[in-house]
Amino acid sequence: MTTAGEARLLLLGWNFRTAALSVRERVAFSGDEVREALDRIRREGLVSESVIVSTCNRSEIYGVSEETRAGEGLTRCISEWRGLDFSEAAAGSFFREGADAARHLFRVASGLESLALGESEVLGQVRSALRVAREAGATRAVLHRLFETAVAAGKRVRTETEIARHPLSIPSIGFELATKVFGQLEERTVLVLGAGETGTLFAEQAAAAGVRDIRLANRGFERADGLSRRLGGRPVPWENLARTLPEADVVVGTTASPTPVVSRSDVEAAMHERRGRPMFFLDLAMPRDFEAGVAELYNVYVFGLDDLGAVAEENRRRRSREIPLAETILEEELERFLAWFGNLAVVPTLNALRARLAALRDAELERLPADERERFRAFADAIAARLLHEPLRRLKSESDASRKLDRVEAVRHLFDLDS
Amino acid sequence: MASHLYGWLAVACYAAAEAAAIRILVAPRERAAWLPPALVVVGLALHFRDLLVRARALGSVPYRTLGGSVSLFGWMLGVAFLLLVLRHRERAIGPFLIPFVILTTGIGLVLPDSTSAPAEGTHGSLFALHVTLAILAYAAFTFSFVLSLLYLVQDRQLRHRATGVLFARLPALEVIGRLNRTSVRIGLATLAVSLAFGLMEARLLWSSLSDPKIAWAVVTVLVYGFLLWMERRGWEGPRVAILSIVGFGVVMFSYTVVNVYLSAAHRFR
Repeated sequence: MTTAGEARLLLLGWNFRTAALSVRERVAFSGDEVREALDRIRREGLVSESVIVSTCNRSEIYGVSEETRAGEGLTRCISEWRGLDFSEAAAGSFFREGADAARHLFRVASGLESLALGESEVLGQVRSALRVAREAGATRAVLHRLFETAVAAGKRVRTETEIARHPLSIPSIGFELATKVFGQLEERTVLVLGAGETGTLFAEQAAAAGVRDIRLANRGFERADGLSRRLGGRPVPWENLARTLPEADVVVGTTASPTPVVSRSDVEAAMHERRGRPMFFLDLAMPRDFEAGVAELYNVYVFGLDDLGAVAEENRRRRSREIPLAETILEEELERFLAWFGNLAVVPTLNALRARLAALRDAELERLPADERERFRAFADAIAARLLHEPLRRLKSESDASRKLDRVEAVRHLFDLDS
Repeated sequence: MASHLYGWLAVACYAAAEAAAIRILVAPRERAAWLPPALVVVGLALHFRDLLVRARALGSVPYRTLGGSVSLFGWMLGVAFLLLVLRHRERAIGPFLIPFVILTTGIGLVLPDSTSAPAEGTHGSLFALHVTLAILAYAAFTFSFVLSLLYLVQDRQLRHRATGVLFARLPALEVIGRLNRTSVRIGLATLAVSLAFGLMEARLLWSSLSDPKIAWAVVTVLVYGFLLWMERRGWEGPRVAILSIVGFGVVMFSYTVVNVYLSAAHRFR
């Protein structure tokens, strides 16, 4: 069921599991390089269709080919182009054929092959890979259908399992925990202390979470001001920190201060002014930005870096538990794709076409008087045979595998053979 | 009394609603979220049919018998659950609240229906409203109690960084707080109106209003009234949950000890 005539699906790839970073950087393709790679592969005549999925963790070339040594040819083509030793490129690569190649793509689209299990970004990258290949004229029926099905499978996995539900990044987990206190965060005020790398990440995450009131406090005001402008937040002069504290629902500490920048008495005063409304503190600083006693105050919740790390680990486990269900969904989608692919074989299509014409003939003959039917049956058969002779001969003798599949699919569609 | 076929069918619907709610809680499915409330609606319709049969047999709202009053309480819990779900669109509370509907309805079906003559004056629409609204108030306070417990559990999980499955599935503290506030408002409003109707009725029937049940109903109104007043003044957090639990303690005391031992006038059998 994995071949259509002699055409086979194939996949040549390098990813974070198989290849060292030094190899992956050489076979990673930018947007323009993907187009060039598609063009080079086509000129080599190794595959009749191709799509390249290139992300930070993988470079994978999907193709349809009748060549038995297409994988080796592709490796040589890429290694020569990228100035990489063939044996080094081959050692870090992996090769799949037929259903295994399709299954791998489905797993990639669903995030099962990602470093961060279930991540969503890869689905867009798979979709984009198909678009680029289509624009470059490198795809036809098979890879188009394969990638469309992979995207649909990826969406199903994300909606029908919890594989993408539990966040893995520390900023996402931090704000997810804050929602367990406040529900929606859009109308809340988030105060980020420190405008370094971590502070910037959290401020960006707050903006991505839809928080409308983001305040940024940094000892160097200019840096907080610059980040605020970029994210639509408000800079807070460092000396006004204590005055701003009561207005903040979520406070994120990311400074490099050697001593706590928010004391228990600061928070006590803030809570008094807030009339006891809850406050949520995320302490990502090392050493801590919030005094230890802050966590003991009424309606104050404090999470530190270790706590967030533990949640990330737990979320990773939760996502892993969804793998069997995700794989069941993928196998369903794979079966559907392979059934379609198998149907593209020429012989079953010809048989289906003959059966369809015979049914049409018999239906028409039914309308004739019984004594005339035999005569007209022979006549109808002769017309059908002559009409189909040349198209079928051309279909059978087509040497380009993908074009053959395209045409077989056109026949199936025009004569409605799949209904 | 009849075999309560509709009553048991209602219990089956509530149980199905609970099963669906647990399933959605364990594996959230947005498309199936309507199922538990829909099953509760069907259950309420069947349950109402059963209450109607009892009412016809008794010639009044079925609060005169132990079985009838507990079953009516179960029906009111179902109504209160629907009001909360419709008002707040929060489905995660279903698995924690629906069991109370199942339990009370089931108990109401197995408890005997007494056949003794009704006490003097315990008829008429004013009296029926007084008792029915009081039962709705108790139902709302029951949910307030459960929600307060959930609040304290979630608060404790946050404080101890216990971020397990229950933590992930329970709603945010703010959401539980809002649900609790709605429950208390429903309970307080209905209890206040019930109390007013009861006082009007008592003025006609009794020479004195010095009944312990009335006094404890007033205490209940004062506790929950204080709670809402403090919330308006900015009270939030575990204190509100604890006061809600105290309020429910007063309700339970009034419903059991006061009814059984202290208030002769409120034992309508």
